[in-house]
Formats: sequence, structure tokens, C-alpha cells
Amino acid sequence: MTESTAPSAAPKRLGTLRERLLANPVTLKELRGRMRGTRAFVVLTVYLVLMSGFASLLYFAYAASTNVTSGPQGQIVGKIVFGGIVGIELFLVCFISPAFTAGAISGERERRTYDLLRTTLLPARSLVTGKLTSAASFIILLLLAAIPLQSLAFLLGGVAPEEVLIAQGILITTALAFGTVGVFFSALMRRTLGASVLTYTFALLSTLGLPLLLLTLVPITSVFYYNSPEPLVEALLIYGGGFLVAINPIATAVATEVILVQEHTAFYFTIPLNNGVTIPLISPWLIYIPFYLLLSAVLLILSIAIVRRVEK
Amino acid sequence: MAAIIETRNLTKRYGKLNAVEDVTLTVEAGAIYGFVGPNGAGKTTTMRILTTLLQPTSGHAWVAGRSVTQDPRGVRRAIGYMPDFFGVYDDMKVWEYLDFFAACYEVPEAQRVGLVNDLLELVDLAHRKDDFVDTLSRGMQQRLCLARTLAHDPQVLILDEPASGLDPRARVEIRELLVELSRLGKTIFFSTHILADVAEICTEIGIVEAGRLVAHGTPEDMQRRLIPHRRINITLLGRVEEAKQALQATGLVTKVEEPGNGANGDGGRITLHVDFTGDDTGVADLLSKLVTLGIPVVHLSEDTRDLEEVFMRATKGIVS
Repeated sequence: MTESTAPSAAPKRLGTLRERLLANPVTLKELRGRMRGTRAFVVLTVYLVLMSGFASLLYFAYAASTNVTSGPQGQIVGKIVFGGIVGIELFLVCFISPAFTAGAISGERERRTYDLLRTTLLPARSLVTGKLTSAASFIILLLLAAIPLQSLAFLLGGVAPEEVLIAQGILITTALAFGTVGVFFSALMRRTLGASVLTYTFALLSTLGLPLLLLTLVPITSVFYYNSPEPLVEALLIYGGGFLVAINPIATAVATEVILVQEHTAFYFTIPLNNGVTIPLISPWLIYIPFYLLLSAVLLILSIAIVRRVEK
Repeated sequence: MAAIIETRNLTKRYGKLNAVEDVTLTVEAGAIYGFVGPNGAGKTTTMRILTTLLQPTSGHAWVAGRSVTQDPRGVRRAIGYMPDFFGVYDDMKVWEYLDFFAACYEVPEAQRVGLVNDLLELVDLAHRKDDFVDTLSRGMQQRLCLARTLAHDPQVLILDEPASGLDPRARVEIRELLVELSRLGKTIFFSTHILADVAEICTEIGIVEAGRLVAHGTPEDMQRRLIPHRRINITLLGRVEEAKQALQATGLVTKVEEPGNGANGDGGRITLHVDFTGDDTGVADLLSKLVTLGIPVVHLSEDTRDLEEVFMRATKGIVS
């Protein structure tokens, strides 16, 4: 052992995605730990049982009230089942992702393994991305496992391919963003408890806080709106409201679906102002995904900077 | 020999508290350096600076010729660090633990299988290879952590209280491992409270108190400087008075104590405690003289409590 020289840096080459993922020792270790034993199997099973139960409930509740075997009614049920499954997945992702990552770095500190890692050659970047990648991989596994459930809706019709793609985009972005928020607070706080509190505060604010804010703002803005404000003010109110919708995962999903049904577009549409002039708008998911990906990138960079920082 | 660890006026302050104050020390390559001091003396802080975990307030430190502040990655490549308190992952097997850290030290995958086996052999844990790390005893976890520090074949091992909390057998095992590693060419810089360990294996000692390095050098040097005499125990089978006269006649004996009254040991053995101011040659001459006089000497040894005395004289009981 002592005869061998100090190992040089691992040769850098572009391998397959699997090779590149597992080249990070933290990802490999975390995935190994996460998938070991019955824990992952139980989580996946319980998740799918709950999702199936929920989908069945939606179907039977609607079927009991009408004939849904085919035709326009069937398409409505298809939309309801699909929307219901995506909605519950979105809600779960908002609250499961932080649970997987809020202890990522602080857990190492609490377990007293942080200093061991810090004195190795492992870059701060690999520690942070390894933690995030392993957590995100498991959440994406949960999302992929639920696709067959979503596809039940295809039998009934009424769900367009772009709806499916947009839904997956929103779900994966949400998993990544909320997971990154967990990693960030975990790097920032010394204790997992503190990191969890801050991460869940963020999750609650962005899922439930913003709708409450909208509910407060809508009556106020309505006063302006119905008093025939200046076109510029009116346009700003619409864009401001649209932005608030576009930074909320659930509101984004619902609004995107509504626009898809009413405006028949997943991208671009126009609405008229009081003075008859039309202004252009884009579907909220087109803001939501870049916004949260940018937020993830910023938080990831900040997390790496915090981990890299030498104690003073 | 070249210095492999060097600090110059190293200082670390937390507000008004000086955790480390103006510490200048050098550790030569291949040494086993015992860093001794009471709790709160600044040992861990110094080690955390040397391992790049902590920024010094002022002063400089180099390990293997690399500055801890300017080339932390170079320092990390040269050191293996074992903190005083460390945790283990509860969902990892012993081999996975070593494989993971070897990967963190950028050991190529192809070399890791052989390396893990070698390391487990070295620390005598090959039979626990597939067990979960958290099922190992404290002593085994300590040995595993020591194996981890060797994953990248570092030049220097910085070990903070490697034998703390261990039972006597585990302590001896760790001590033997350190000697073995020193034989393999590693420089070992370790902190401890256990002076017996220091006396047994260290080639150099540094004593710290209240953040300051109050004494350093080889154990023999320190004894010579801090204790004007050495305590020698001579066990005889008789002719005690004659022996005492012979000892006094050397002119290097300042005190002779005879505990008890007469036959104070097994089989009529009598032990004399002698304060002696001479060097090693003087001790050899003393023994030779007693034997020449036909005095029945059955045992002669130097008191190992001397190091405790060195420690007590070097420190004043101040804790920063």
C-alpha cells in the first residue's frame, strides 16, 4: 500500500449518463443507502397504492353521477382523472422533495462526518450535487412510476400529448427546485431541524401562501380594474397577477390547463383590455419552469459556496 | 531531516479568547509527534487549522511544504485526518465506507478493491468487511477511521485523540498501529491526554497550555531540561546499606529512598528509588559499579512517571 504513489486525479472523459452520475462518490453512496433494504420498496408501494386509490376515487365519484364510458363525458372524466393525479403528485412533490434534502448537509454535520468529507479531495460541488442528484433521482422515480396511472386517463380521452409533457415538466422542475431549496437551507443551517423548518416554510409559502396573497390582492386590484384604469396600469396588473400565478406550482398547473381549454394554446395568447387593445400573454408554465430552474441554479451555487467556505 | 509540518506564529482568536497563540513548531518527516496538553489548550484548534478546516487569525502553517491557507487541496492530498469525535454512516458496510472515502480521495475505481482489502488487513478488520459500520465496536470504528485516513497514501497523519474512549486493549492496538504506520514511513502528529502513550511511542513532544506551546523537543531532551534528575528504581536481594553507600559515592545521586522497612517485595526483594543527575552513561556506570561490588541487583529501571513530571512542570494548570 505504501509503495503506491499518491493517486492522481481521475481521468476526465465523457461517459454514459450512468457513468457520469456514479462517478460522483456521494451520489453512489446516497443511492446505495436509499435503495438498500425494503425502505425504498415500501415508499414506492405506499405511494402507488395511495395514488391508485385517489385515481379510482375520482373515477368512481364521477362515474356514479353520469355515463362516462365514451364520448364527451368520457373526455371530461379523462381530464379530471389526469388533472387529479397530476395535482396530487404536485402537492406530494412540493412536500416530499424537501424531506429528502433538508438534512443533506446538516445531517453530515450532526453525524460528525462533515469534517471527514471536508478534508478529502471531494469538491464542495460534488458533495452538493451528489446529494441533490440522489434525492432528485428518487423523486423522479416516484414520478415515472405514476405515469402508468396517468395513462389511465388516455383510455378515456380528453388529454392532449402537450398536457402530459407540460405536466411532467412542471413536476420535474418542482422536484428539482424544492429539492434544491432543501439542500440550500441544509447547507446554511447547522441543524436539520432548522433547515427543515425553513424549507417547509418556503414550501408552504409558495404553494399556499401565494394563493392567499392573490386572494387578498384580487379584491384590491378589482377596484382598480373595474374603475377603468389607465391601459398601462391595467396591463401591469394583469402581468403582475400572471407572474404571481406563474411562481406557484399548483396555480401554474391549473392556469395552464384553463388556458389550454379556453384559449386552445399551451404557449401564446392575447387578451383584450378595457379599451379594446389586446395585450400578449404566455402560458404560466413558460415562466414557471425557467423561473424555478434559475432559482435552483442560484441556490445550488450558493449552497456550493457555503460548503466551500472555510470556518473562521 | 526536513520539516513536514511547520507553523509560524500561528494564532487563532475567538473574540477575546486566544485559542491558539503564537505557536511556532516544526515536525520532522517520519516523526511520531505527541501533541500534549490539558483540555481547552488549543490542540484541536491547531489540528483543525493544519487540516484546512479552520482559518487562522494570523500566522502561517505548512504541511508537506504547502500552505494551509493558500493550497488547501495540496494539503488535503498530503494528510489523513482523524478528528477526536467522528461519526459513521449507519447504512454502509465496512468495505463500502472505505471504498467511498477512497473515491473521495480520487483513487481510481480499478485500484479500490485491492486497496480496501489491504487497508482492512492492516487494521485487522478483514473479517468484518461485509458488516455494517455502525455494528462495529468503538475500537473497531477507530481502527476503521484510521484505515480511512490511509486511503490515499498520505505522507502525514493528523490524529486528534486517536485512543480516547478506548478500552486498554484497543488503546494498545491503536498504539501498535501507529508504530507500524511510522515504520511504513508516515509522519504521525497526534494529540493525546495519555502520557503513557507519549512515553511509549513518541519521538517528539509538544506541550501546549492556554493556546501556547510551552515546551517541545524529544522526550529525553524535555526530561533533561525540565527535570534536573531522573528517578531510577533499583531492586536488590540484600546488602542495602552497602548499595546506598556506593550510590552516594558516585556524586550523581541526590536522594535514595527505601520504601517500607527491609524486605518489601517478593522473595526478600528491596527496591530503592534513586534520584540521579547523570546521563545514560552514568546509569550504565552506576549499574556496573554495583555489580562489581557484588551487590545482588535483580532489576534496574527508569521511572515512567517522569513524563508526567515533565508535563506538570511545563504546564501551570491554566486553561484558556
